Amino acid sequence: MSATLERPGPALATPRTVAPGKDSRRLIRGQVRAGWLLIAPALLHSGIFIVIPVVFAIGLSFTDYSFGDSWAWVGFQNYVDLYNDQDFRAALVNTILYAVVVIPISMALSLLIALGLNQKIRGLGFFRTAFYIPTVTATVAVATIWLWIYNPGSGLANGFLSLFGFAPSAWLSDPGTALPSLMVVGIWQGLGTKIIIYLAALQGVSRDLVESASLDGAGRWQRFAHVTWPALGPVQFFVLITSIVGTFQVFDLVYVMTKGGPGTETTVLVLEIYQNAFQALRLGYASAETVIMMILIAIFIGLGRLLQRADVND
Amino acid sequence: MTSATVSVVGQTKESTVRTGRIVLYVALTVGAILMITPFLWMVLTAFKSELEITKFSWLPGELRWSNFVEAMQTAPFLRYFRNSLIIAVGETAFTLAVCTTAGYALAKLPIRGAKALLSYFILLLLVPFQIILVPLFLIVKSVPLFGGNNILGQGGIGWLNSWWGLIIPLGAAPLFTFLARQFYVSIPNELAQAARVDGLGEFGIFWRIMTPLIKPALITICVFQIEAAWNGFLWPLMITTSDSMRPLQLGLAIFAQNPAEVQWPYLMAGTALATLPMIVMFVFAQKRFVEGMANVGIKG
Repeated sequence: MSATLERPGPALATPRTVAPGKDSRRLIRGQVRAGWLLIAPALLHSGIFIVIPVVFAIGLSFTDYSFGDSWAWVGFQNYVDLYNDQDFRAALVNTILYAVVVIPISMALSLLIALGLNQKIRGLGFFRTAFYIPTVTATVAVATIWLWIYNPGSGLANGFLSLFGFAPSAWLSDPGTALPSLMVVGIWQGLGTKIIIYLAALQGVSRDLVESASLDGAGRWQRFAHVTWPALGPVQFFVLITSIVGTFQVFDLVYVMTKGGPGTETTVLVLEIYQNAFQALRLGYASAETVIMMILIAIFIGLGRLLQRADVND
Repeated sequence: MTSATVSVVGQTKESTVRTGRIVLYVALTVGAILMITPFLWMVLTAFKSELEITKFSWLPGELRWSNFVEAMQTAPFLRYFRNSLIIAVGETAFTLAVCTTAGYALAKLPIRGAKALLSYFILLLLVPFQIILVPLFLIVKSVPLFGGNNILGQGGIGWLNSWWGLIIPLGAAPLFTFLARQFYVSIPNELAQAARVDGLGEFGIFWRIMTPLIKPALITICVFQIEAAWNGFLWPLMITTSDSMRPLQLGLAIFAQNPAEVQWPYLMAGTALATLPMIVMFVFAQKRFVEGMANVGIKG
């Protein structure tokens, strides 16, 4: 480490310091200046394109702004309206349902697959690529393929089921199966990233620990429960948070596959926001919706933290 | 696996290990098939004729390569491709420039409050894009002195329907600053010190000594950013008004817009062509990419 400015006097100067006094101080000042210069663009960019918009969104939610010149403060009116808005309620319920179903299933599945891929197996590159393909593919492309798979007349899903004598289903246009059908696609598409992150983390789990545990006679399950699982803690949290943010953001999938239909069976928050903001041009109202979404995500992340802490205390 | 010394115990153990392996391979293969089948189906459908797709079948009667050519002619796919490429390259260059510098400063330079700044960037990771959608649109619309705007950002369309608007706001995500920082942190300080003693300036140290050492991070950032830019949908949907600016994904979505008239083979051909570059990129980058992800997760 280099000497710091706070150091009281030459009495404490270590022999490591190459040039004491003015010279090192000048060097450090140079480093500080370079540091601020290097970080400035990122601070500026995030300030303009993230922080200001967040503050702006909160402000807009108390207005009736709609792209025009005249607008007025309306207090909590937007929120009151939201409370009575059936479409918004449907979107809220659907989004929470989607998150609650998709997050645990996809996390469990991807951890399982990552554990499998973490063995000494042949064709690792192939498997890695296979599981990652759905993730590199644009959601629009994925949605289009699945639209065709779910096609009631000639799609793959009904074609496959008919092999076992099942009656064809309408999938996306049947209120009972529409949302679950979307969930399947969401889970299927999201596995890849999570697998890669878990796989990377598993490779960092100390081999010595695992080996010494197995020398002590710990079985496969015990090794997982007492060595691997605790070591995955920080990564679990990372995956959980990105999953929460990701599932709440689901949009492209719904936009291409169902547009929220049939009825409001599959509308989600972002679709609602998009429609209110850019089709109905009710920006204030749409902002109120985004604020609710922000609060919801914060609650979910808080819950996730609680879960994680409970897990650590065990 | 290690050879067992006690023969009887060894044999039963070996056979359970072998069964375990077989189960593992079967499970992974079934999983991989589930992941790939939709793509196979897409590619096969791209070769079929309009008549063939009216009922369920696997293989096309003949390989109609002409579908690809006709798909390219039905919509201005080449232009969509070019647009996506411009956005992907622009965003990636911008991200690399902004995020490596910031990541380096956070990791290696003695700026006051570096810890707090790091927390700031991590906090920003949690802000979903959709939340800032509306205000971001307004901000981009009122960039001063662009698109007919005056110096106060009024009167024109700002960065709407421009490359600036498509590239700059979505580049340089905090995730990449964080990722770059995680990598720089793991490089020993002695390297920089030695270079300092040799009289190399701070920017030289950053650019010539430290940055070449974090290649896996750079590759990971590139893969992620290119992928995000290539697959972007909502933002271009909002801010482009003319067909000449539209990227690939919008082109595809417009193709699928009217369910009654979708020409599936063409749509599938277009989708296959749009996906191919990303798959090829991942196949080449996957090893480095996994290394890259390892650093974000573990030291996070």
